[in-house]
Amino acid sequence: MTFPSINETELVTRAQNGERNAFSELVCIHAQGVLNVIYRMCGDTQVAEDAAQETFIQAWLHLSSYRPRTSLRNWLYRIAVNSATDVLRKQKRILPMAMEDFYLTDPGPGPEALFSQREQAVLVQKAVLSLPDASRAVLVLREYEELSYHEIADALDIPVGTVMSRLNYARSLLRNRLERQSRLQVEAENV
Amino acid sequence: MSKHMAEWLNAYLDGELRGIRLHDVEAHLAECQACQEELRSLQGLSALLQEVPVPEFISPERIAAQVNLRLPHRIPSATKRKVIETGWWMIPVSLMAVWIFISTASLVSDMLLAASGFGLLSNIPVWLISGASGEAFWSATLGQFGILSGNSLQWAEVIEAFTRTTVPQITWQVSIALLYLSWIAIWWARNRLQGHGQLLES
Repeated sequence: MTFPSINETELVTRAQNGERNAFSELVCIHAQGVLNVIYRMCGDTQVAEDAAQETFIQAWLHLSSYRPRTSLRNWLYRIAVNSATDVLRKQKRILPMAMEDFYLTDPGPGPEALFSQREQAVLVQKAVLSLPDASRAVLVLREYEELSYHEIADALDIPVGTVMSRLNYARSLLRNRLERQSRLQVEAENV
Repeated sequence: MSKHMAEWLNAYLDGELRGIRLHDVEAHLAECQACQEELRSLQGLSALLQEVPVPEFISPERIAAQVNLRLPHRIPSATKRKVIETGWWMIPVSLMAVWIFISTASLVSDMLLAASGFGLLSNIPVWLISGASGEAFWSATLGQFGILSGNSLQWAEVIEAFTRTTVPQITWQVSIALLYLSWIAIWWARNRLQGHGQLLES
């Protein structure tokens, strides 16, 4: 956080009055969180940076509709998730892992690499990226941004019950896919 | 797992359970091997997810600078927004003021008319009591020409008196009430839209 001593509400009010400097300070405060969310949603650094910029431009354009009594972070995360989803829709190159692709992925060079942390991280990321957008958004906000269920519900404008069901579904799907991938790896090693 | 508490284990893992539900899940977990296994599996998955690193992005300051360059030149006008906002809140205030004015004027007019009828007041300006006048000009005219007579003339006078006094008041009040309700409906819809940021959805 670049400007921890400055009251965020005051910055928002100044930005709503058209002060670009105040808005830039808000961008500095929330850039990392927004970048993380978008990256977890799309898995591409360059696209995450572009979509983050788009997120903040959209936020600037709609800042007058933001009510300071709600969380700015959650509001920005909502725009970020929408931006990421839009980008994914437009640029199919980013989400390389449709479910079939995920299962057909080359199991890798061998058991050493398989069990290396990096390889495992790549597999997990691919599994996350293969989740449906709605479930992935909930999972990302919970696991990586550590938002509570109520905060996720607020950010995504869905009921808390839907947050719970989407999270259950996402984790269940993720486990199944990782287990299946693991089985494929073992089979590939035995061949 | 349907007999167990599988559907609550995610919420338990995330620290979202409270009260009786939390107690129930903890009591169940203490006895159920399958749910303990399920919980460990969920914890393992969560730990696995944390192992996925995020790359190094460009600095927040650089993002801010790039965003600043791309920001549209159309700066939201604070003055314009304040004027619109003030005007918006003036609508119900104005409606209430109009309603109070009309009601008061009508009441005062009725009182003056009654006082005049009892001979308590004299020389009251006509404009003060014209709105409450119960005189039936058209019925009287029709009676003079012999078109109406007897009971029909009396009914016509009553209806005309009612039309001249009560109907305008009802019309005014209903109109104001409808405008006020419309404002509340728009306010509610606007509030809901703003609250959820739906305008940002594509």
